[in-house]
Amino acid sequence: MKVSATKFLCLEDKYIPAHQLAASVVDYAVSRGVNKHKLLRGTRIFIEDLKSDKKISLGQLLQLLTNVRTLTPGYDCAFQIGRRLFPSNYGAVSNALLHSRDFAQALKILGLLRMQICPFFDGTSYQTSQRQYLLINPALNCHTQVQFLSEIYCSALISATKLLFGQRIPMYFSFPFQKPKYIQEYEGNLGYRLSFSQPMFSISFEKKWLTTPCLQRSDGLRSYAVKQAKMQNVPKQGFLQTVRNEINKDRQTNLDNIARQFSISPATFKRKLKLHNTHFKQLQDELGKQQATYLLQIQQFSNEQSAQLMQFNDIPNFRRSVKRWTGLTPSQLRLTE
Amino acid sequence: MNLSLLARHSTLFSVLCGSFAVSTSLSIGLGQLKNLSDISWLDVLGEGSVGLLSIVWVFFLLISRPPGKVTSALVIGLCCFLFSASLDFYDEFLTYQDAATGLSMFESIPAAIGMFIMSYALYQWHQEQLVLNQQLHSREHDLRQHDQIDFITKLYGADYMRGQINNKLIAPPHSDFSIVMLDIDNFDQFNRKFGHAEGDRLLRQISELIIMNLRSSDLACRYAGDRFVLLLPNTGQKLALELAEQVRQAIFHLAYKPYQHPQAIYHNLTFAIDSVRPGDTTDNIIDRVNRSLDASKQLLYPSEVAL
Repeated sequence: MKVSATKFLCLEDKYIPAHQLAASVVDYAVSRGVNKHKLLRGTRIFIEDLKSDKKISLGQLLQLLTNVRTLTPGYDCAFQIGRRLFPSNYGAVSNALLHSRDFAQALKILGLLRMQICPFFDGTSYQTSQRQYLLINPALNCHTQVQFLSEIYCSALISATKLLFGQRIPMYFSFPFQKPKYIQEYEGNLGYRLSFSQPMFSISFEKKWLTTPCLQRSDGLRSYAVKQAKMQNVPKQGFLQTVRNEINKDRQTNLDNIARQFSISPATFKRKLKLHNTHFKQLQDELGKQQATYLLQIQQFSNEQSAQLMQFNDIPNFRRSVKRWTGLTPSQLRLTE
Repeated sequence: MNLSLLARHSTLFSVLCGSFAVSTSLSIGLGQLKNLSDISWLDVLGEGSVGLLSIVWVFFLLISRPPGKVTSALVIGLCCFLFSASLDFYDEFLTYQDAATGLSMFESIPAAIGMFIMSYALYQWHQEQLVLNQQLHSREHDLRQHDQIDFITKLYGADYMRGQINNKLIAPPHSDFSIVMLDIDNFDQFNRKFGHAEGDRLLRQISELIIMNLRSSDLACRYAGDRFVLLLPNTGQKLALELAEQVRQAIFHLAYKPYQHPQAIYHNLTFAIDSVRPGDTTDNIIDRVNRSLDASKQLLYPSEVAL
């Protein structure tokens, strides 16, 4: 099936209102003594834009965040931005979340309206008998930026759940990057259930929390807010997410096939991937690593089951691939938690 | 670059311009231009850069120090030096008639006077630094690292505290010390209600209060968010408890008035204390005291605590 060009969103598409994250990030950095003009350098955003309905692209927002990261003093920059992210200026999206019934419904709404409030990451949810998992994929592949963005959105998640439910929901965070020197900020903002240098980025919590009721539950207000938010004509997913979905449908596929599905030439497709700081093989490997980790480590499936689910024909080949992706054999991976 | 101090130095700025103007008009008024072939460009470069750099020094002095006796002495000294340096520089381009030979004899005298004034100023600066160090007690121990100072509270951050604890652990006369971790109760709620700018101001006031309640040998740092950490050298658990309780009392009585809010808001804090144990590492101690603080916060405010 062909992928239509209006269904996904690229880094250069302008659809994010500048008065949302961009404005609050600039406010924060200025309150920390950073020069406004230096912050906006290279972003092609103007100060007047921040007060208007003007739309900016994900790429521009990223450049702004990079400037903020390098110019703002202190390790707590990302976490403080995260704390200010919700409910902020998100209007209908924030209202929809605030008035949802319980945590499960809030997560569902977040999934539905994700591109409007959290365009840098997409999450896939999985359940085991005990736990709810969210496997997180970034919308672009750049180590330092992804770490900074993870800090923002994880601390936003924690402070938003506190606001929504009036209590703190204990969450487990697995980060793909190394344990940072400023661990105190992670502990202070996210709690102590942290693991670093993990094969994939995931957030999980006990299933029983899914039924935590929201303090401001209101079905009428919520459904109106959802309807209102849906009127913002925003694509449902990002470019990399769309590519990942296509790879997931058929693990043996190749670049030319997918480019054809996107109705663009392989060269253009490659260039688009490069713009997101990645290439086809890397995406394929990362997805393999993520799936293998999920099947073997979280679901504790056998080699045969996992190989079959991942469309491998023979077990030795599967074992070799797992070893290449994660550095561990399937049985080792099953033992680590 | 922050230039806000420059506007407060109008007098010193005119002294700088004056010394430069007097030397320029003296030289040009009394001298005559040399032949181009007689000019030694190496000397021009050397003397020119001496003059130029002394102007740069004056500039940095003016933008980094508030007005006062020491600042004036330093700038006036440098201006005398600049006077001689610029005369020297013009020398390279001009010849003087017999009547003005006095000028070239005279030109090195202001530099010498300037150096005397600067030496006096440096001695005063030293005295001033000693006073400032005393003002900084409890904020800073034996090491100064301005890039580790927290923007909001002007206390040092967690890195500095780790370094200091580490120093205490490896110092040869293995001395007892206690660590106190303290955290403001319901700070998130306060931030949500009054805004982050008020939250920052509250943190600043609380950090001042903490400093005021410590002994001169103690050190306070901002750990993360609304969490502060105190290092109390040569102090056992019992004394540490007493000191921490005094800090708690002080903050409990702080009547904080948010902007445009008629009523004062009072704050409490929760703290945890731990003393060094044999074989401890820095991370060990910090981790232990953090966890015991969280445990006691969880009892008091189940919804607020980092689980």
